[in-house]
Amino acid sequence: MITLHPKHPFKAPVDAECISPDVFAEKSAKEIAALQIWEGNRKRTLSGLFKIKHENDSSSKEFTIRICGDVSKVRKIGAKMSKGNIIVEGDAGMHLGEEMKGGVITVTGNADSWTGSMMKEGTIEIKGNVGDYIGASYRGSTQGMSGGKIIIHGDAGYEVGCFMRKGLIKVHGNIGKFAGIHMRNGTIFIQGNSEGRAGAQMISGKIVVCGHIPSILPTFTIDNVRPKVKVNGEKVEGPFYRFIGDLADGGNGKLFVSKTKNTHLNSYEEYL
Amino acid sequence: MTVITGVTCPVCGTFCDDIELVVKDNVIIDVRNACAMGAAKFLSYAAHRSLKPLVRKNGELVEASMDEAVEKAAKILVDAAYPILYGWSNTSCEAIRVGLELAEEVGGVIDNTSTVCHGPSILSVQDVGIASCTLGQLRHRADLIFYWASNPWSAHPRHIERYTMFSEGRFQKSTWRGYLSRLSGGLSRKRLQRAVNLVLRRDIFTTPEVKRRMPYSMFQKKRKMVVVDVRKTRTAEAADYFLQVEPNKDYELLQAMRMLIRDEELDVDEVAGVPVETLEEVADIMVGCELGVFFFGLGLTMSEGKHRNVDAALHLTRDLNQRTKFLIMPMRGHFNVTGVNIVFTWQTGYPYAIDFSHGYPRYNPGETSVIDILNRDEADASLIVASDPVAHFPRKTVQNLVKNPLIAIDPEVSPTTLLADVVFPSAFVGIEAEGTAYRMDHVPLPLKKIVEPPKTCLSDEEILRKILQKVHKMRRNQN
Repeated sequence: MITLHPKHPFKAPVDAECISPDVFAEKSAKEIAALQIWEGNRKRTLSGLFKIKHENDSSSKEFTIRICGDVSKVRKIGAKMSKGNIIVEGDAGMHLGEEMKGGVITVTGNADSWTGSMMKEGTIEIKGNVGDYIGASYRGSTQGMSGGKIIIHGDAGYEVGCFMRKGLIKVHGNIGKFAGIHMRNGTIFIQGNSEGRAGAQMISGKIVVCGHIPSILPTFTIDNVRPKVKVNGEKVEGPFYRFIGDLADGGNGKLFVSKTKNTHLNSYEEYL
Repeated sequence: MTVITGVTCPVCGTFCDDIELVVKDNVIIDVRNACAMGAAKFLSYAAHRSLKPLVRKNGELVEASMDEAVEKAAKILVDAAYPILYGWSNTSCEAIRVGLELAEEVGGVIDNTSTVCHGPSILSVQDVGIASCTLGQLRHRADLIFYWASNPWSAHPRHIERYTMFSEGRFQKSTWRGYLSRLSGGLSRKRLQRAVNLVLRRDIFTTPEVKRRMPYSMFQKKRKMVVVDVRKTRTAEAADYFLQVEPNKDYELLQAMRMLIRDEELDVDEVAGVPVETLEEVADIMVGCELGVFFFGLGLTMSEGKHRNVDAALHLTRDLNQRTKFLIMPMRGHFNVTGVNIVFTWQTGYPYAIDFSHGYPRYNPGETSVIDILNRDEADASLIVASDPVAHFPRKTVQNLVKNPLIAIDPEVSPTTLLADVVFPSAFVGIEAEGTAYRMDHVPLPLKKIVEPPKTCLSDEEILRKILQKVHKMRRNQN
């Protein structure tokens, strides 16, 4: 196991694509210390910005990187990783686990926007809140998250699962607007409230909102009322209104919304 | 006294090119054809300006030589680990090109004012694509004009006159006579109402408001204008039909329109405060037109949903093109904001929010856009060109901007220049300096030099070149 401690608080953004078990596993301690990293427009080495500690950890077979301290300005931690573990004890920066292909990332604090964007496999677990565009695509691209799991114990921002193609995003807290926009497939499970416009322009996939939602987009149509819904093999107790949409895009996505928490949607029942 | 014709107006995105100026002894004494904004700029541009470079010493801005100011500015930029270079929409393409070179050299983030106006439109265009054309095409052919969440009567005063309703096109006639008769009819009705009320001493015209039907003019075979906005603006008063949408509900309305033009039914009776029957009538008018156009403004790009509102508008245009011909165009604000997007794109591949910190261009608005960088307090120096962010950015953003070294290049005295550490007074481009700018429909037009600038005021391009040369020299010495 390797433990990293930031040597000083960062002001300019730090681009640390090299902080990945795939990169560290193949290198000696000296090579790891000399890994190149960007702080603003200055080239630094990993040992210049972080105190690096090598520990023998017999409890885990997987290569583990532990980062202790505030790395909220450090971007692309675990980008493109395919194996091993990263544990961030503090807040993590943008693009955490971008294009990740395997392994596990755990953050005890908050994570920033674009967490798990374009990820293909693996698991990201955030104990705190996250920013926008979780599991989304790069700007202008239609290839969002295509596999893996993102579990958020706090709240999530806007456009979670934008252009999502496969996988699961589970939010224990509340979520911002446009959850699952342009979603092609996969599942977004929201235990808290949604700010609205859930499933905008979705083509397929499943969004489950257990809390309150201010309104349903006019381009969704009511399908039926379900007593429970299945999410990643687990049964979630309802009842849920099941909407189909987004019809403006010829979509066939399923939007499940708690019936008991959304009595203002009763008027839809006249079409059942 | 000389009369200069065919002058382009360096104010709004309509970028009128038919201005005539009367010049006497190097002073503009009269302006013809311009709107109030254009005339005010040409006649009183020099009222509040500084003439010499300023450098902050012991907390006060004091006059300095050009060489001293350039030296200080270059040092600030070379020493910075993450500088931002912002503004650019009110200067020439030639100056913007030098600015990009400077950003690359100092490894900074270069961004323009689209980041706080039509940046979301650009994001949507990258996602969806855009069906657009030049304003000349619309002037001659468009028979259905939509101004969605924009108010050209106030913000682009000659847009309606030159390119849409009041312009005389080859295939579409001007409707200004109809507008005048409607206006005088409305005034007569009000006068009559007042007279009758005075005579009878009671208000006999106060009748319960009836559900508004689509006016007869909307079914006539002539050019029609529809305004969609949250309030009845001056443009809405001039329109054939005004659709009032609830604030922050444009996305729902646009998506619902997409369903209706495909003859699909909605489960709801009302969308964004508009009854579905009304929307169905509007959808019929849209599908029945020969060539329609959406002009959209900041009401779409800066309200709830931002680029997703534009996303829906672009999709609606795409869907309409399966039934008829429809085009869409953003109502750009500054006279060269389109130009800055074009120059940025041809030089780097990206239209705004470009990060050169790694030596090559990277783009991700939200991460590399100036407002977000300042809100996260990541920048450690700034160069502001032809813009006034201190007056327009949010308070927290401004606090983070001014606590670091700030360089301003601006012909005018503004809150930004007053808080800067180095100030370069420049020549007014389009009046005292020539160059090129792009109209909102991506047509490049020349900016003319009408009068000589004060001897101490160089153009933005010349000042930037001096800073760039100094930066080159300092970096060579460092290496």
